[in-house]
Amino acid sequence: MKELITYIARALVDHPDEVKVFEVDGGRTSIFELRVSKQDIGKVIGKEGKTAKAMRTIISAAASKLRKNYILEIME
Amino acid sequence: MDRKTLDLEGKTIDEAIEKACKEFGLPRERLNIEIVSEGSSGFLGIIGSKKACIRASVMSFDLAMEGDRDNEHEQKIETQPVPQTASDPMEATVADDNGESLAVKAKEVLHGILQRMGLDFPVNIDETHDTINLRIEGDGSGLLIGKGGQTLDALQYIINKATNKNGKERKRIILDTEDYRMRREKTLIALAEKLGQKAKRTRKPVTVNPMNAHDRRIIHLALQDDKQLMTKSRGEGNYRKIIILPAKKN
Repeated sequence: MKELITYIARALVDHPDEVKVFEVDGGRTSIFELRVSKQDIGKVIGKEGKTAKAMRTIISAAASKLRKNYILEIME
Repeated sequence: MDRKTLDLEGKTIDEAIEKACKEFGLPRERLNIEIVSEGSSGFLGIIGSKKACIRASVMSFDLAMEGDRDNEHEQKIETQPVPQTASDPMEATVADDNGESLAVKAKEVLHGILQRMGLDFPVNIDETHDTINLRIEGDGSGLLIGKGGQTLDALQYIINKATNKNGKERKRIILDTEDYRMRREKTLIALAEKLGQKAKRTRKPVTVNPMNAHDRRIIHLALQDDKQLMTKSRGEGNYRKIIILPAKKN
């Protein structure tokens, strides 16, 4: 799952090297913190959060097989 | 001055394309034409006619081939740093020739995402002059489609963003699996007809649930030829929805 988030984020930003994902494991629900370069924050959030929403949709689809909940946080 | 892309208007799409050709001084085959809006002669002639609007740009394929043929088109094609973990022999052969075409890049990104979702399905490409159609050979579980197509739309959106981010050449990418788009279109047309009947019967406006632009377009088109009905969109953003109105009797 972490790889999936990293991969999507890297594909979207201009500075893929600065993409970092941290996982906070909480049993049934895990939180992923996504950090990107300052200039790229807009790219992963998108217009009215559209990109962020699309990423969360993809994550929940991938998660449905794993019977787990994932929360994606975009950190500044 | 940036002349990479131009927005042009015309009475019809053909007319707009012709203008674009003149503007760039290039034949039609050398241009990328993206249709922004199709013109219409107005719904039943009641509402004013709309001009056709297109976005034209020079095909970067040609840029790569002919280099600095012309100062305006001198910019070089950069190969985008796509993380290349998804390597299958088929892809490698296609990706080899001069840089990467958008279609190959799009397929790569999609494949990369699918792999990491644990859904390693084959993807077919079909390219037209302004769109790239990617078809995922799914397992029929509908996992990739999601409720109301939301997963498929999310994937499509991300892939469009990732592929077109460097923005010299742009193409619309359409994602499909298990013939979902076609089935959806049929459902929407059936829905449009049903609600159209209702509007005619009750002589009152019927509101359709909020939908995205693509779905709304299908409904508008489905009812376009019905002289007894008019369709309008109302609302903003995600809440924009169609209203089907019985046409005023003259």
